[in-house]
Amino acid sequence: MIAPFSEVLVVAGILFALGAFCAVVRRNLIMIVLGIEIMLNAASIVFVGASLHLSNLDGQSFVLFILAVAATEVSVGLAIIVYAFRRTGSFDPGNFNLLG
Amino acid sequence: MAGSPAHSVDLAALLAATALPFFSFLAIIVATRGRPKVSAGLSIGAAAVCLGCSIGLLAFHSGLSAPIEFSTSLIASSGLNIPFGFLVDKLNLLMIVVVSTICFLVQVYSLGYMAKDPGFSRYYAFMSLFTWAMMSLALSASLLQLYFFWELVGLSSYLLIGFWYEKWSATQAGKKAFVMTRAGDAAFFIGILLLFIHTGDLNIAHLDSRSALAGVPPSFITLSAILIFGGIVGKSAQFPLLTWLPDAMEGPTPVSALLHSATMVAAGVYLFARLYPFFSLSPTAMSVFLAIGTISMLLASTMAMVSRDIKKVWAYSTISQLGFMIMALGAGGYFAGVFHLTTHAGFKALLFLCSGVFIHRFETNDVFELGRLGARRMLIPMISMVLGAAALSGLPPLSGYFSKEAVMGSLAGLPDHVWLAAGLCGVFLTAYYSFRLIFILLFPRERVSGEPEGAHGAAHKAEYGAMALPLIILSTVTVFLGFFETPLRHFIGVAGEVGQAPTWPHTAALALAVAGAAVAWIEFGRKGAAQIGFVERIEPLHRLFAERWYIDHFYGLLVNRVVDRGIARLCELNDRKVIDGSIDGLCEATVESGRVVATLQTVMVQYRLLAIFAVLVLLALYYYY
Amino acid sequence: MQMEPASFPFLSAILLSCVVGMITIIVIPEEKKLLIKQVSVFFSGICLLLSVYVFFAFNRSAGGFQFVENVNWIPSLGISYFNGVDGFSLPNILLTGIVFFTGVLTMWELETRVKEYFALYFVLVAGVFGLFMSLDLFFIFVWYDVSLFPMYLLIAVWGTTRKEYGAMKLTLYLLAGSALILPAIIFLWAKSGLDTFSFVSLMHPGLFTPSVQKFAFLLLFIGFGILAAVWPFHTWSPDGHVAAPHGVSMVHAGVLMKIGAFGVLRLAIMLCPLGWIYWAKLMAVLAIIGIIYGALAGLRQTDLKYVIGYSSVSHMGVVGLGLSTVTVEGLNGAVFQMFAHGIMTALFFSSVGYIYDRTHTKNIPELGGLSRIVPVASAFFIVAALAGIGLPGLANFWGELVVFLAAFKVYPLFGVIAVVTLVVTALFMLRVVQKTFYGPANPRYAALRDVTPWLGVPRIILVAVLLILGLYPALLFNVIRTASVPFMNGLPR
Repeated sequence: MIAPFSEVLVVAGILFALGAFCAVVRRNLIMIVLGIEIMLNAASIVFVGASLHLSNLDGQSFVLFILAVAATEVSVGLAIIVYAFRRTGSFDPGNFNLLG
Repeated sequence: MAGSPAHSVDLAALLAATALPFFSFLAIIVATRGRPKVSAGLSIGAAAVCLGCSIGLLAFHSGLSAPIEFSTSLIASSGLNIPFGFLVDKLNLLMIVVVSTICFLVQVYSLGYMAKDPGFSRYYAFMSLFTWAMMSLALSASLLQLYFFWELVGLSSYLLIGFWYEKWSATQAGKKAFVMTRAGDAAFFIGILLLFIHTGDLNIAHLDSRSALAGVPPSFITLSAILIFGGIVGKSAQFPLLTWLPDAMEGPTPVSALLHSATMVAAGVYLFARLYPFFSLSPTAMSVFLAIGTISMLLASTMAMVSRDIKKVWAYSTISQLGFMIMALGAGGYFAGVFHLTTHAGFKALLFLCSGVFIHRFETNDVFELGRLGARRMLIPMISMVLGAAALSGLPPLSGYFSKEAVMGSLAGLPDHVWLAAGLCGVFLTAYYSFRLIFILLFPRERVSGEPEGAHGAAHKAEYGAMALPLIILSTVTVFLGFFETPLRHFIGVAGEVGQAPTWPHTAALALAVAGAAVAWIEFGRKGAAQIGFVERIEPLHRLFAERWYIDHFYGLLVNRVVDRGIARLCELNDRKVIDGSIDGLCEATVESGRVVATLQTVMVQYRLLAIFAVLVLLALYYYY
Repeated sequence: MQMEPASFPFLSAILLSCVVGMITIIVIPEEKKLLIKQVSVFFSGICLLLSVYVFFAFNRSAGGFQFVENVNWIPSLGISYFNGVDGFSLPNILLTGIVFFTGVLTMWELETRVKEYFALYFVLVAGVFGLFMSLDLFFIFVWYDVSLFPMYLLIAVWGTTRKEYGAMKLTLYLLAGSALILPAIIFLWAKSGLDTFSFVSLMHPGLFTPSVQKFAFLLLFIGFGILAAVWPFHTWSPDGHVAAPHGVSMVHAGVLMKIGAFGVLRLAIMLCPLGWIYWAKLMAVLAIIGIIYGALAGLRQTDLKYVIGYSSVSHMGVVGLGLSTVTVEGLNGAVFQMFAHGIMTALFFSSVGYIYDRTHTKNIPELGGLSRIVPVASAFFIVAALAGIGLPGLANFWGELVVFLAAFKVYPLFGVIAVVTLVVTALFMLRVVQKTFYGPANPRYAALRDVTPWLGVPRIILVAVLLILGLYPALLFNVIRTASVPFMNGLPR
C-alpha cells in the first residue's frame, strides 16, 4: 500500500513541528541538537515522499547527502557540547554568554 | 674686496677681532673644560687680541672719511640675498674700542673674582661667546646680521645671568631677561622683515644714506622705525620692558659690569645711533623715542632712590642713564648720545667692579651691611667708587660731567622745554641716589670692630691684585676721558651740531647735581643724620618705588593668569576634552555599538531559532496570500 | 622635467642595506645582543654614508630628478619601481640617514627584546627611505603603510607612558590618513587616463581639470596633513611621542612627521597645483593655529616628552605656513625647516631618552638640578632647546626666517602672529630647561654618570649638523632651490 503524498507531508509536518518545539523549548543542549536532527529527518521524509511522487531519484540522493551532513553535524556538535560542558558544567544554553 | 694692501690688513684685523673669541669659546667648550687656567688664558688672550686690533683700527682710521665695507653675500635662499660682512665707520670704531676694553678689563678682573668657582672654564667660555657676539654685532654690515648677533648677545646674557644655575632666583632672572628681551626682539624682527620686503635691502650703509628708501611712504618708515625701536627697548631695558635688568644682577658681578651696564645693554643705544639717519627720517618716531627714554629715565631713578641692594642701585641707574642716551639721540643730539654711551661704559663698569670687590670680600649686597662691615677701609675700591659716583652724578671734572652737559645741551635745543625739565629732574635724582649710596658706605651708623684687611692669604692678595688693576685703569679713564670731548666730537664728525646753545641749562644741571648730592649729605652723610631718605618717609610712595611701580606684578599677572592659566589652559582643555574627547568618543562608540550587536548573538541560541521560524512563517504567509 | 639615470643604483642600495640589515639581525641568535647592536650600527652607518654621498653627489646646477632607477613592475596597471631624488626629497633622505644612525646609537643600552626591536626599526626606516625616494604613486602608498605598522609594535611593546593607548591612537589616525590618500591616488590615476602611477608622467600642469585638482588636493592634504600633525589632527602626535621608546620617538618626530609634510608637498602640491592655490588660505589658517596652539599647550605640560611633542606641533605649523604661501621662499623655508626640525627633535628625544633611562621619570617636577650631575647630557638638551627657540647660529633660525619672510609677503597678519609666538616658545622652552636642569642638585640622582662615548656620538653628530647649517645655510638652500625654482616657474597662473 502506498500512502498518499499528502499524508506523507502531514507526518513530516508533524515531525518537523515536534522537532522545532523540542529545539526551541528544551533548555538542554543535547535535546536541542536532537530537535534539529528530527527536523532534518522530517525534511528527509519530504524528500523521499516527493521523489516517489514525482518519480525522480534526485530527492533520494539528497537524503543521502542529508544523512552524511547530519552525521558530521552531530559529531562536531556533540564535540562542542562536550567541551562546553567541561568548561561550564552545564548544558544550559543560557550559561554561554561570553560574547555579551 | 681687498683692493689694496691696506685693506687686506684691515680685513685681517677685523677677522681676528671677531673670529678669535669664537674659536676660544669652541676650544674651551670642547677641550679645556677641565683646565681652568688654560681656559682663562685662551679667553683673555682672545680679548687682548680684540683690544689690540680695535685700537689699531681706530688709530689707523682716525681720519676716516667714508665708511669701509667688506661684505660677502650669503645666499640663504633665492630672492633672499643677505650680505654678511663688516661695515667700519667712526661710530663702530669707537664702539669696538669701548667693548673690547671693557671685555678685556672685566676678564682680567674675573681672574680674581671667579677664582674659586667650580665653573671657571664655563665662565670664560661664555665670556668669549659674548665677546664674539658683541664685536660682531658692532661691526655688522646688514641689519639681519646685526639681529643674528643681537640674539647671540642675548643668549650669552642668559647663560651668564643664570651662571650659578643652582641658585633658583638666578635661573629665574636669566629666563626673565631672555624672554623679555625676546619680546622686544619680536618687534625688531618684524620691523626688519617689513623693511626687507618693502625695500629689498637691509644694508645698514644703504639705509643710513637713505638710498634704499626712495619711494617708501613716510608712514611706513615710521612704522618700521618704531618696530625696530622695540628691539632697543628690550635690549636697553627701557619702559615698558625694564624690569629684567635689576633682576639680572643675580649673575656674577663682573658679568653685571660687562653685560648689564657697560656694553650689552648699550647695544640698544648703539643700534639707535647706528640707524640714526634712518630713524631721523620720521619725526613722529623720534618723539616717541624721546618720550620712552624720558619715562624710563625717571622711573628707574625713582626705583634707585629706595633700593638697599648695591648692585640694584647701579642697575636702576643704568636704565636711567640709557634713558638719558635715548633722550639725547631722540632729541637730535647724535654726538651727545654716543659720547654719553662711551663715558657711561667707563664709569658704570667701574662702579660695578668696585661693588664686586666689596661683595667678594663681605659676601653681602646690602648697602647698610657693607657700610657696617667696613667697606670704606678698602681704599682702592672706595676711592674708585666715589669717583665713579661723582661721574655718574655729572660733577666736574669727571667724564660724566661733560657727557651729561652735552645731553642737556641737546635737550635744550628742543622747542618744548618739558624734556629739558625732565632731564634736569633726572640729574638731580641721579646725584641724590648716587651719593645716598656713597654716604651710607662711608658713614655707617654702627661700627664693627672686625679687621677687614687682615687675615688674607697670599692667594687672596693675588685675587685682590687682579681685581684692583682694572679699577685703577678705569678710574683713570673716568677722570680723563671728559677732556677728550672736542677731539671725539671732531672724530665722530658732527662738530658744531648743537650750535651755540644757551649756557643756562648747563649751569642749572651742575647746580642740580650739587643740590642732589647736598640733599643726600643732609639725609645720609652729616653727623646724626637718620639715614632715612625723604621718599622713605612717605609710605605709599616708598612702596610704589620699591615695588618698581608694580610693573612686575602686571607682567606676572599677564603671564601667569592670562597666558598660562587662561589661554594655554583653554588650549590644553580643548585638546583633552574636545579633540581627544570626540576622537575617543568615536572609538568608544564603535566598540559600544559592536557590543550591542554582540548581545544579540549570545546566551539562548533558541531565541534565534524561534526568530528564524517566526520569520519563515511570516514569509510563507506573505507569499501565500 | 630633466631625468638623469643613475650609473649605480645608490637609492636601491640604501633600501637594500636596510633589508639586508634586517635579515642579518633576524639570523643572529637572540642572546648575542652586543652583536645585534653592532650589526645595526654597521648597516645604519652604510645607509648614512650612502645618503651623505647622494646628497653631495647631487648635481646642484642641473637640478631635476637624479639617481633615477626605473623598472616596470606591473605594466598592465602602470606600476613601476621608480626611484629618484630632487631638491625636495634629497634633504629628507639625508635627514633620514642621520636620524636612523643616531637613533640606533641612542638605543645602545636597550636590553629587552633587542633583536625584534632592531629588526622592526629597520623595517620602519626602509619604509621611510622608500617613501622619500619613490616616484611611483602606488609605491609611495605602499611605503607609507610599510612604515606605519612597525610603529604600532615598536610603541606598544617597547613604549612607556600609556603605550597601548598611544600606539593605537597613532595607528588609527595614520590609517585614517591612508584611507584618504588611497582613494585620492586612485582618483588621480583614473582621471589622468594615462594608465600610469608614475609621478613624473602625472606631474604635468593642465593634466587635471581644476575641479579634480581641488578635490584631490583636499583629500591628499588632510591625509598627509594628519601625519604632519596639522591642527586639529595633531593630538596623536604628542601622545605617540610620549608613548614611544626614544629611538622611535626620534624617527617618529624627526622623520615620520616630515613624511606628512613631504607627502603634502610631493603629491598634493606638485600634482594639484591649482588645488594648492585654491586651498592655500585654508592651509595658512590651520598652520597659524597650529603654531600658536602648540606653543600655548606646550606651556602647560609637565611631561618632558609632551613638551617636545607640542613644540613639534608648533614647529610643523611653521612648515605648513611656508607651504601655504605659494612662493619660492615659502617652499624653500618649509623644506629647510623640515630638515632642521627633524635634527632638533632627534636631539631632543635622544637627550630625554638619556634622562629617562637614568632617572626613570619624565615628569618635570620630579627632575631638577641635573646640570650639576650630568653637565654634558644637559648641554645637549639645552642646545636643542635653543634651536627650538630659533636662536641664530643654529639651523632652525634660517628655516623660520625664510618662512616668516614669505609669510609676511602673503599674509602679513599671520607673519606677525608667528613671530610673536616665538616669545611664547622661548618662555616654555626655557621654563623646561630651568625646571629640569637648573636649581639645586637633586640628591636622588646624585649617582648618575654622564654621557658615555657611545651615547655621546649621536648627540655630537646632531649638534654638529645644527651648527653647520646654522652658520652656512646655503648648503641646504642650494639643493632645495633646484626643485623649488623650476616648479614655481612652471606653475600655471
